[in-house]
Amino acid sequence: MADKHKPAPMVDEVSEFEILELAVRELAIEKGLFTAEDHQAWTEYMHTLGPLPAARLVAKAWLDPEYKKLCIEDGVKASLEVGIDWINQMPTKFGTPSDYCNLRVMADTPKLKHVVVCTLCSCYPRPILGQSPEWYRTPNYRRRLVRWPRQVLTEFGLQIPEDVEVRVVDSNQKTRYIVMPERPEGTEGWTEDQLTEIVTRDCLIGVAVPKPGKTANDPRPVRKALKPYSH
Amino acid sequence: MSKPHYDREHHVKKATGIGDPQCFKGEAGTPKYQVGDKVRIRDLPDVFYTRTQTYTRGCTATVVRLVYETPPAEDEAWDNTENVEWMYSLLFKQKDLWPEYADTFAQDTLETEIPEHWLEPA
Repeated sequence: MADKHKPAPMVDEVSEFEILELAVRELAIEKGLFTAEDHQAWTEYMHTLGPLPAARLVAKAWLDPEYKKLCIEDGVKASLEVGIDWINQMPTKFGTPSDYCNLRVMADTPKLKHVVVCTLCSCYPRPILGQSPEWYRTPNYRRRLVRWPRQVLTEFGLQIPEDVEVRVVDSNQKTRYIVMPERPEGTEGWTEDQLTEIVTRDCLIGVAVPKPGKTANDPRPVRKALKPYSH
Repeated sequence: MSKPHYDREHHVKKATGIGDPQCFKGEAGTPKYQVGDKVRIRDLPDVFYTRTQTYTRGCTATVVRLVYETPPAEDEAWDNTENVEWMYSLLFKQKDLWPEYADTFAQDTLETEIPEHWLEPA
């Protein structure tokens, strides 16, 4: 029957924020703040971003102590060596997809583990890490990580020993952060390419640690809400 | 109609090719605090906008880095870039932020950035 073969809608519903974005975008184009072509160029640029440059930055730093020092001292300058120019590479020549141009690389030690969150919204070092995963933006992650970091990390499958300090980094102002995890055992003699493969996005946010042979993020366990919000 | 006297592009003109917060470098004057100083987060009113988290108010922290100079978010939200100040990266003890934080993990910390006018010596 015809009505049984209706095409499924692309999305179930459009959120209020999507409507707001569309309205503001159309007004901005109408007012001449930017053109539709600018918007297209920007959107296409955003889709080219991903976590690979940050993974390479970490791998390079593991192999080169001088470069590691530079990463800790000046993340924006260190990014240039992995092909990311925070200040000039975006098509509009201004701003970054996270608005600001200050990157800090938080280096873990055997006694210190960093993990990144933005409690106020979802600030994320997009030029070097791409778009943030859905869970990073959720109020659940944002409000619980600052208060119960070890419990939340356990949910990600990462248990931090008692004698290791857990340092939550709350990205609340103009600095964007990536975590430089410890180089794992079993990677002796590896090349930069090999090392880059095991530094996953989750390792760079700090909710996972690199392991030889593990080159992908774990799927997030989805737990349905007991009392889901509905309109 | 009179011409608008406000330059809406003042920020983009200033920051293009330099970056933000780099474009405010040198405008904040002498920093009031140095690395290692103990500070307390003031509990200021935040009627319109702030990026100083409520959970840090009244807590003490240690300055670990003078990160950059910038107008505070409270001003920038209204496009006011006149009052540039130092931004400090602060290290809190989790036990100071959350009274119920487990004693077993008393060494755990939290790092975040707070602008100068939110701080007082502790």
